[in-house]
Amino acid sequence: MQEMTLLQTLLIATIQVILVVTFVFIVVPLTIFAERKVIGFLQQRLGSTRIAGKLVGITALQNRAMWAMGKFPILHYFRGIPGLAGDICKLLFKEDVKPAKADRLVYLIAPAIAMVAAVMTYSVICFHPDPLFTIPASLPIIGEIPIIGGLPVSGVIAEVNVGLLILLGFASVGVYGIVLGAWASNSKYSLLGGLRSAAQMVSYEVPLTISLLVPVVLSGSINFYEMGQLTTLEMSPWAVPSLFVGFFVYMTCGFAETNRLPFDMPEAESELIAGFHTEYSGMRFGLFYLAEYINMSVVAAIASSFFLGGPWLLPFGLQGIAWDFMATHAPSLVELWLVKWIMAPHWFYFVGKIFTLLFVFIWVRGSWPRYRYDQVMAVAWKYLIPLTLVNLVAAGLVRYFA
Amino acid sequence: MFKSQEMEINMGPQHPSTHGVLRLKLRLDGETVKHCYPVIGYLHRGVEKICENKAFFQGQVWTDRMDYCSAISNNLGWAEAIEKLFGITVPRRARYLRTMLNELNRLNSHLLWLATHAMDIGALTVFLYCFRDREKVLDVFEAFCGSRLTTSAMRIGGLLEDIPEGFEKMVKDTLTDIREGMLEYETLLSENRIWLKRTVGIARLSADDCLAYGVTGPLLRAAGVAYDIRKAHPYAAYDEMKFEVPTKTEADTYARYLVRLEEMRQSISIVEQCLGGLPEGPIMAKLPKTLKSEVGEVYHPTEAPKGEIGYYLVSEKGGVNPYRFHIRTPGFLNLQAIPLMVQDALVADVIAAIGTLDVVLGEIDR
Amino acid sequence: MSYVFDPSSAPNAKVNMPSTAPVPGLAAHIADKKATEAAEEAKWQKTYSDYEAAKTKAESEGAEPPKPPVRPVAKSDAYDMQWPVPKEPEDQDLKTLVELLGESVEETFEQAGELICQINKTAILNALTTCNQEVSLRYEMLSDMTATHYPAGDGYKFSVVYHLTCIRRRKRLRLRVLIPEGFEPESATQVYPGANWLEREIFDMLGIRFANHPDMTRILCPDDWEGHPLRKDYPVVGLGQRNVDFREDRSGKLMRRAMEAAGHLNINLKPIKAD
Repeated sequence: MQEMTLLQTLLIATIQVILVVTFVFIVVPLTIFAERKVIGFLQQRLGSTRIAGKLVGITALQNRAMWAMGKFPILHYFRGIPGLAGDICKLLFKEDVKPAKADRLVYLIAPAIAMVAAVMTYSVICFHPDPLFTIPASLPIIGEIPIIGGLPVSGVIAEVNVGLLILLGFASVGVYGIVLGAWASNSKYSLLGGLRSAAQMVSYEVPLTISLLVPVVLSGSINFYEMGQLTTLEMSPWAVPSLFVGFFVYMTCGFAETNRLPFDMPEAESELIAGFHTEYSGMRFGLFYLAEYINMSVVAAIASSFFLGGPWLLPFGLQGIAWDFMATHAPSLVELWLVKWIMAPHWFYFVGKIFTLLFVFIWVRGSWPRYRYDQVMAVAWKYLIPLTLVNLVAAGLVRYFA
Repeated sequence: MFKSQEMEINMGPQHPSTHGVLRLKLRLDGETVKHCYPVIGYLHRGVEKICENKAFFQGQVWTDRMDYCSAISNNLGWAEAIEKLFGITVPRRARYLRTMLNELNRLNSHLLWLATHAMDIGALTVFLYCFRDREKVLDVFEAFCGSRLTTSAMRIGGLLEDIPEGFEKMVKDTLTDIREGMLEYETLLSENRIWLKRTVGIARLSADDCLAYGVTGPLLRAAGVAYDIRKAHPYAAYDEMKFEVPTKTEADTYARYLVRLEEMRQSISIVEQCLGGLPEGPIMAKLPKTLKSEVGEVYHPTEAPKGEIGYYLVSEKGGVNPYRFHIRTPGFLNLQAIPLMVQDALVADVIAAIGTLDVVLGEIDR
Repeated sequence: MSYVFDPSSAPNAKVNMPSTAPVPGLAAHIADKKATEAAEEAKWQKTYSDYEAAKTKAESEGAEPPKPPVRPVAKSDAYDMQWPVPKEPEDQDLKTLVELLGESVEETFEQAGELICQINKTAILNALTTCNQEVSLRYEMLSDMTATHYPAGDGYKFSVVYHLTCIRRRKRLRLRVLIPEGFEPESATQVYPGANWLEREIFDMLGIRFANHPDMTRILCPDDWEGHPLRKDYPVVGLGQRNVDFREDRSGKLMRRAMEAAGHLNINLKPIKAD
């Protein structure tokens, strides 16, 4: 691999950022739509089936066409998708109300903090171990910039050695958005939500981090890319239970970190109206809203890359074990191209795992009631932290002996 | 430099889970409720004053709009109070039909209660499931009297119309659906650990407190007092029905949940008994065109889904409208006990307490 | 264009004050019955004497004598309706109450299957305590409590009724006191804590204050409400006393629109007085 110039690095990073942001902004609306539809399915209703349109717009044409065809227009299952664009438009054009006695500066930047922290975590997530594609040498760049060609555009934006630390750091910064926004709103319900959020995040950071230490200990690295590869491909069978427990704890903490239903203390709408974003409206509320969904996909992405095997098929380190098993016991099977193809890393395995975990998020929201605030804390301190500590010790023993 | 301070917070009158316009002035230490003072009256329409200035039969539409989730119970209490005042004998068929409608209405009200209570605690799906089944009960009301929510189904002396064709099958299908639906709610809630954590031991109200504060209905029965006006002072056709009064002794939110579910089962059984033994005959007593009263005074208690609803009437000689029309609504006295229930509890428990009280502000403020 | 609702010209603004005070009671019922019977008897006597006079006149003139009148009999079974009249007390509870309270019991009777006991206005707390504590009575719960305005009452202007429930014996009892204007009966909260809101409601609606009540404030109406709505001299349309104060309404547009809406809805709004 030849040395890249600064300009080349910047250009490549830009391309990667565009790809990742596109991915995020496709996944997030799809998650929102999927949430509506999946919860609709769980609750025996249809979810969003239409956007308003009687006389004007594309939907009106669609409606009239469907009437003309003799179909009942409003009940088409996927007609709610344009509504997502409608939602964004509504949020953008809505009046941005600021409370008279709010702390203006903090009130304005708090949603940005939440949003930026949520998006930044994507910079260290590895989508694919190998270069996604290579820019052809024939691609001209206008002016005196030299032609780039043959340089790898890898699946991770910042291939840093301390990827996990960056990720945890940004996840903690996201809390500031919530707490500052709640405090700056100068509303009692917001304040209660913010306080709950602060306490809950502080509590759940601990088991979350310790549960992420399990793959760190097992793989002996905190480089995001290496960790994913090692925990999937080079694990002993003894490590599987500890990865499984780690996954369970991580997902539980993930629910708490993203303020999803069994732990949605900061915005428990039946108790605190809307919690920390009670006073927010328009796109500032929209930023909080999007940040929640981005955080959800980040949690899903991390869980799937560390515990569920990332772009490989089998989770919990079973991939490497299965491959070794097949190689020793049925070498002919390994030679088949289909098996090779199945066992090779693919980006759609990774995305599929993310989507499955997002479905779990929605499923849980549809099924379970909400914990009380002190019970949430009890779950963290009484059950999750001892469990993760024991798990970490077990992982260390596995690392030492196996 | 730093000092701790209790925070005063207004829960309501605009709040997602105060079921209307209830306002609670809370004083919080952290999240612990140190003092609770309910403020009501935001929905006061002066039903009593209006009914005093209308003829006897015109009061019915106002009783519909008090507890708008159980209009038929209100209608029944109102009709029976006036019948008691005038000494009117109601035909047996009408009494059976009234009983059946009242029990369907109990199902309706309890389904709505479970829906909102579960949603307050965060179980979104139960809300929709209950509304799915409640819809069918409302369809039955629509088939009977043409309206779904504010039914005005009763008349003084009986009923306006007999049941329509195919009504019995419709009711039976609805009961089957509700029975199946109840299995689903129980699957989702009864043994759910989070539901248990949120309801067991929450918002206790002992039997002595219930009696001291005049709390009736499922709250009293969940405290271990088997008092049901349908049994104690039978009205309509309840003396001919076989049913049990479910009780629990825990006096907490979960016990009330179980009591209400069991009441729904008993209601289903009563409706089936009514359908099975529906007598033939007229549905309306013979009455003069204008009811002219003598000097009289009557208090008639009936068992609404939320507790005892009583109508107190005073009439004057030769009057065509009541001299005094007072309604004792269950929610008014039940809500009075909420400071006891939420003392030293957390904010989330206040929500559970409001949900378990099953408040409808239309009947509290009247 | 602004529209201000004027309550005095509203269609229902006129108040019809009742001319009688319908307090049901055994003595009143007996007196009323006697008076009615006497009036009927007098009417019949008059009819009969008229007939006699006409008969003698016809006989003296030798003309055809008129037909003798038939005494009208009240039709009892034309309707499924039988007005329940007050009866002599037969229930043991009422007898026990008379024994225990002695002089302070003014009247006991039964009507429509209900037990009614009228108590002297000064002895109500004693009566409630007896009903609650006495082993043979033991009325555990105060079901309801309310009051009625009798502007035509002689010596009293209000009645306050207490509906007590005995859960063990499945019995209900009504205590009644008649009080004049301005009299403050003892609060029942000392015996039944649940009377708190009921007494506040009575104060709000009828203006009866209760002595020794912990929190004698309005409950349903706002604190600054004028008048007591359930009094008979209060018009159904109200007195028109809701001031609406729009804090940031510099041009007066909000006020104007609210007034218009209120006019359409027949809500009583009073325009803000200019300072």
